[in-house]
Amino acid sequence: MMDVGRHPRIKLLAYSEIEHVSGFIGNFNVKVRKKARYVDENDCTACGDCVVDCPVIVPDEYQQGLSSRKAIYIQLPQAVPSAYLIDMDHCLGNNPIACGKCQEACEKKCINFDMEDEILELEVGTIIVATGNEVYDPTELDEFGYRSFENVITSMEFERLICAGGPTEGHFVRPTDHQRPIRIGFIQCVGSRSDNRGNPYCSNICCMNTIKDTLLLNDHYPDTESKVFYIDIRAFGKGFEDMFKRSKEAGVKYIRGIPGDVWEDPVTKNIFLAVEDTTSGKVEVHELDLVVLSVGLEPRKDMKHLQQLLTLSSTADGFLLESHPKLKPVDAPTRGIFYAGCVEAPKDVKESVTQASAAAARASIILNAGKVQIEAITAQINTDECNYCGLCAKVCPYHAITAADRKLGIYPEVIQAACAGCGTCGAECPTDAITMRHFTDFQIMAQVDSILDKDNMDKVVAFACNWCSYAGGDLCGTSRLQYPTNVRLIRTMCSGRVDEKFVIHAFKKGAPLVLVSGCHFADCHYINAVTWTQKRVEKLWNKLERLGIRPERLQLEWISAAEGQKFARVMRELEEMRKKVTPEEVAETIKILEREEAKALEKKAGKAKKAEEALQTA
Amino acid sequence: MAERGKFKCLRCGHEYEDKYTPGVPQERACPKCGSNSVRRIEEKK
Ligand code: SF4
Ligand code: SF4
Ligand SMILES: [Zn+2]
Repeated sequence: MMDVGRHPRIKLLAYSEIEHVSGFIGNFNVKVRKKARYVDENDCTACGDCVVDCPVIVPDEYQQGLSSRKAIYIQLPQAVPSAYLIDMDHCLGNNPIACGKCQEACEKKCINFDMEDEILELEVGTIIVATGNEVYDPTELDEFGYRSFENVITSMEFERLICAGGPTEGHFVRPTDHQRPIRIGFIQCVGSRSDNRGNPYCSNICCMNTIKDTLLLNDHYPDTESKVFYIDIRAFGKGFEDMFKRSKEAGVKYIRGIPGDVWEDPVTKNIFLAVEDTTSGKVEVHELDLVVLSVGLEPRKDMKHLQQLLTLSSTADGFLLESHPKLKPVDAPTRGIFYAGCVEAPKDVKESVTQASAAAARASIILNAGKVQIEAITAQINTDECNYCGLCAKVCPYHAITAADRKLGIYPEVIQAACAGCGTCGAECPTDAITMRHFTDFQIMAQVDSILDKDNMDKVVAFACNWCSYAGGDLCGTSRLQYPTNVRLIRTMCSGRVDEKFVIHAFKKGAPLVLVSGCHFADCHYINAVTWTQKRVEKLWNKLERLGIRPERLQLEWISAAEGQKFARVMRELEEMRKKVTPEEVAETIKILEREEAKALEKKAGKAKKAEEALQTA
Repeated sequence: MAERGKFKCLRCGHEYEDKYTPGVPQERACPKCGSNSVRRIEEKK
């Protein structure tokens, strides 16, 4: 961090927040609020004279609340820049100056209570998101007694207690009597891998963190008796299994079972754990001096805000979704934005560094090239057809379309570098003014035609999105799973591309059954384009019903790339449904839709005639 | 604000009640057959 702070080409804006981001790859405009520190960071030498006289004492967040700090403080000894700041939520001094003791104490006169937040506007070409994660708070898991029993602590608190820079200066003591604990128990997977409370995913780092802690204890205090209670130990990284072995050789006991009950001896304050050792099937009670809860990692609480700021999406677990899990693991779905570290998923230091290096390399490739190659699949607006309704700009998940203005005669415009090619705008445009390159209306309709030209009663027309449903079909095939051959797939990049008129056209051409399928909401590769699919299908169901066509004949399914089994099952179910649609029903549908089309044409002609008449009288 | 509404699965025909927020699309799966072809239906008065 020090190197970053000193680097001539890196501008470090500590204690700052992003307020607004606009633009696109190569041309982002970022508004940053640099918060007032009330201490001049250039002049402050971090001598600490100010701290001595500050009368305010609050829990020290960095030390996990195990010690206190003052209202004027430095977050951690290694902080960059190495300068103090005033926590105005607690300071007594500002406006009117009621205290100001720190100001008096500072010889260099660095403290200025009139300092104000600064708004900076930055032009940047790429953005790397490395906002990290939060740690699970185990208070809700009352079976472990955290916050009820003082000698039950979290792995984060353990980290501070054993650290030379911690509140006890590295003298490892337990909270109740400040004596060194000998019998220490570690409970794994606290807040991880649970469908009921906490999070369903594995937090990735906790097993190795505990193994490291047991070795650390063994190095510092060889008489420590450590016990680890676990579901299974996940030591899959380079050198990790070896570390696990060393820990076992050092005498650490690994007990397969998570304690079901924890209680405290009211006199000694020792902690008792009742646990079923699942290898022996026996219930055991362990008396310990200290219990450490190995807590999992969580996405940041302000993740939704971050997503909105940068037009990103997240996976079901709340971490950010990458552009492609295998091929573009550090790219965000919005081009020009990259991820590093736990903002994308829980990971350890090595993985974070690897990812950060990759993100930096990906970003610098773009910056060095000075130009970007745009995708071949993008939207294009034909202004002759556009009626300025602005719907396209509203639905675009990437904000890639500029606003239309009827009064000023300004047409919307697709920023080609920002367009990801989902096709949602094309599907929503009421005047068909948008052409989706490589997935034009004409191309898709032609596929529908060719499917239904012959033996229409035997076919199910299925629209499948490129990333999930189509890939799910692929997996189904490579896994040799059987599904009925009557289903004919039409690939679109996103289910958001499936225009209402494609579905209606399929029914008019005699399709007994139509399927629209895409990614699960949390996997959508185009941020939230899938929500427009859902809305459109719901609208279509209503329309079909109104026209007297069974809505059941339009089916909707979210199938991920990993759900080959589901793909096969859905296709089998659809085939069963198809068999129940009679030729009479299909013929009736065709009649209804042709009638509708004739009505629409008549209406259009009427309108055109009226317009012509108005023109003549004028 | 979440409201309670009636839903019908267009795959198996199962009808059930669930929470929903008007105007906010939500991924739904039929509790009986797992299909995503779930439609909110108006209460028959
Ligand atoms: S949706 Fe179509 S008609 Fe409306 S502003 Fe966009 S291009 Fe024009
Ligand atoms: S195709 Fe998708 S990303 Fe591109 S402009 Fe249209 S809605 Fe936006
Ligand atoms: Zn169902």
